[in-house]
Amino acid sequence: MISAGKTKLKAVAAVIAFTLAAGANAKVTDKDIINDQATTNDVVSNGLGPRGQRFSPLTLINTKTVKDMRPVWGFSLGGEKQRGQESQPVVKDGVMYITGSYSRVYAIDAITGDELWQYDARLPDGIMPCCDVINRGVALYDDLVIFGTLDAKLVALNNKTGKTVWKKKVEDYKAGYSITAAPIVVKGKVITGVSGGEFGIVGKIRAYDAKTGQIAWERPTVEGHMGYIWKNRKKMENGISGGEAGKTWTGDLWKSGGAAPWLGGTYDPEVDLLFFGTGNPAPWNSHLRPGDNYFSSSRLGIDPDTGKIKWHFQTTPHDGWDYDGVNELIPFNYKDGRKTVKAAATADRNGFFYVLNRENGDFIRGFPFVDKITWAKGLDDKGRPIFNEPVRPGNPALSKDGKKGSTVLAAPSFLGGKNWMPMAYSKDTGLFYVPSNEWEMDIWNEPTAYKKGAAYLGAGFTIKSINEDYIGVLRAIDPKTGKEVWNHKNYAPLWGGVLATAGNLVFMGNPEGYLMAFNAKTGEVEYKFNTGSGIVGSPITWKMNGEQYVSILSGWGGAVPLWGGEVAKRVKSFNQGGMVWTFKLPK
Amino acid sequence: MLQSRTILLIALLVVSAISSLAQGRTYDDIIETKQLIVSVYRDFAPFSFEKDGKAHGIDVDIAKQIAKSLNVELTVRFTTADESVEDDLRNTLWKGDFQTKTKSDLMMRVPYDRDYSQMRDDIGELVHDRVHMFAPYHTESWQIAFNKNKIEEVSTMAVFQYHDIGVEVDTVPAFYLTGAFRGTMTKHTHHYPNIRLARDAMLAEEVDAIMGLRSEVSHLLVEQPANFELATNAFPLIGRQQWDIGMAVKSDYRQLSYAIGDVVTEMVKNGQMARIFEQYGSIYQQPTYYNP
Repeated sequence: MISAGKTKLKAVAAVIAFTLAAGANAKVTDKDIINDQATTNDVVSNGLGPRGQRFSPLTLINTKTVKDMRPVWGFSLGGEKQRGQESQPVVKDGVMYITGSYSRVYAIDAITGDELWQYDARLPDGIMPCCDVINRGVALYDDLVIFGTLDAKLVALNNKTGKTVWKKKVEDYKAGYSITAAPIVVKGKVITGVSGGEFGIVGKIRAYDAKTGQIAWERPTVEGHMGYIWKNRKKMENGISGGEAGKTWTGDLWKSGGAAPWLGGTYDPEVDLLFFGTGNPAPWNSHLRPGDNYFSSSRLGIDPDTGKIKWHFQTTPHDGWDYDGVNELIPFNYKDGRKTVKAAATADRNGFFYVLNRENGDFIRGFPFVDKITWAKGLDDKGRPIFNEPVRPGNPALSKDGKKGSTVLAAPSFLGGKNWMPMAYSKDTGLFYVPSNEWEMDIWNEPTAYKKGAAYLGAGFTIKSINEDYIGVLRAIDPKTGKEVWNHKNYAPLWGGVLATAGNLVFMGNPEGYLMAFNAKTGEVEYKFNTGSGIVGSPITWKMNGEQYVSILSGWGGAVPLWGGEVAKRVKSFNQGGMVWTFKLPK
Repeated sequence: MLQSRTILLIALLVVSAISSLAQGRTYDDIIETKQLIVSVYRDFAPFSFEKDGKAHGIDVDIAKQIAKSLNVELTVRFTTADESVEDDLRNTLWKGDFQTKTKSDLMMRVPYDRDYSQMRDDIGELVHDRVHMFAPYHTESWQIAFNKNKIEEVSTMAVFQYHDIGVEVDTVPAFYLTGAFRGTMTKHTHHYPNIRLARDAMLAEEVDAIMGLRSEVSHLLVEQPANFELATNAFPLIGRQQWDIGMAVKSDYRQLSYAIGDVVTEMVKNGQMARIFEQYGSIYQQPTYYNP
């Protein structure tokens, strides 16, 4: 039985290889990646181009035609391993590449939905990823399909066979590291960050030669750690991040400062900079680490050739609420009178939307994009938050007799006004489409906590919805004014990415399972299809044989169902799944 | 024909054996299959660790005696510590390992603390209703060890305003030394990935003292230079001064917990428990639960 299955698979693969031979076999180049947004026949990068704008100029599917859109094929990720599917598909020469939960990669015929090959990373026993066993997608380069694994490796597969070409250990999973983000390829280098829990890790961004896996540079994201660059395979010191240790940290806490750049980055060829966000500082109790704690909860502008930090902008200095600063920074240009402003925008966990000068990281403007923010009273003229100190969680070390401290109510919750799910920017409307959530949290000191059989001082917290009828809100936001042009409310929290198109459409999936298309100017729902499980992935669109296709992964999971309490109640009836759904207009 | 049927039968037996081992099971199943599966923490000397492919440690030795008393074979499973014990209980007992989906019959080194076992979440539900915690087997506490050549005496915590001390990152000792005493010890606190590396730093004279779990620190001082000593100071303002360690089973399997509880009581009372700790050089304190 098993051998018969294999033969069949090969036969299918051979036929496809033959039918695609005409337009196929072109390797993905740096130019293809830079031009990804404009070349509608493929999607070769995460974010539909290195800027991550998630905008497609395709117009065949538009506000008039979208109502006729229907699924053409579905693909099951199979097995019992149906967990959160946060992958964004990519498509090259009629082949779609996706990742699945548990560090799996699939190559699929984009016309028929037939599987061409599948790669299952052999994960070691005893890895402990913090927030579901998800993966967010691959990078393509040359004839390679490159992705990061839950045991913190970077793996490059041959795009025809799915066989390993090179494999690099990025970090030691035993020290608490893993990789879940899609890598980015810039100028022949594949660049990745790492994830890590509260195990005393130090965030680092690394660049490797995309063809060989040879390391090129390494940049720590915590002040005080030495960066390195490799020349002719020789490792050389390349400057300490932030100049020296101890400027914004106390004691030796910078040695285990956290700030994991776990969500990957974007790149802008105009200013030739990489943009990476960083996670919260460690330890979680902010009273133990007075200071701004560079470069935690920040956006970094990084030289792609050397890994040098050119500028930084810290969204939450001295974070005490677990507001990671990892959310994507999207480069875009706008006109200020007759001047073109080279800007970049990000919607932070902390509830503020920031517009920065992407050449130097200067703050242009910032405004709340969620209705309720309690931890800060606003931003000053440099973009630094004006703290509302009573809303900083207390110091457990000061709690008398090991009693529970007082409870602080903070909004947004630590899962953020916006979490990892990427927003989109439409050149046509000039608006950002931000998948946001309205929720808050109670935080208290929890002395009745244990870790590895040892008494522990934990932070107790619970996430609560602010409104009875919705948590999720998709918002169309004007970055020039901060004005919200329209919004769409959703009962469950949003956890999937957004796509905007020149067809005046915005696509997004929700945890209830629907792929939805909105009118980009008005927010009206123009299309809706139930995929059978919650959507936490990001949609793409491309053109093939003269027709426009839309694809998205469906498969409920990610961090939301892992937290108990009131929010979990809202989502507990959602069924798990693991499917790719592909749509087009009927001929 | 006959041959293939036999193969099928064997295959079925193998499958059922595997699936029964994949689950936490009832007392009757354990006795019938003569197999007890026990989870312990990975790489956590002196409690549980691997050496030459074999499981060793205090918790492993206790599990061995439990299996022996129940007249079953012991299977030890190592689990990587997650962010909290709550996560560990999910991974080992009620939901299973997220990769292999395996569950164990018993988890060692679980706090025996009524406040903890009866904890309720924000909607009033019991947090730990899926597991039953029982059989306290020792009382754990904090401990400082110091280099006598560097510090004459550690009578109070005050000396660490002047002397460097090593701790494991993200533990109560780390929070205590950086958070209490108005931060006066922060610059003397050195963080290490684990307490063994902190001990190595004391050997290398990077720090003059270390603070960690009493069982670990006392174990680490075996075969160390004679100038390394255990301190007898108190830990003001540390919150919980000491706590009991027991074990847990899935709530449905109370009968198993009664059988194991009897074995543990016997081990504590006949001195075997104390002897196991002694073998590893760890200080043993009997839980007040067994006081007459």
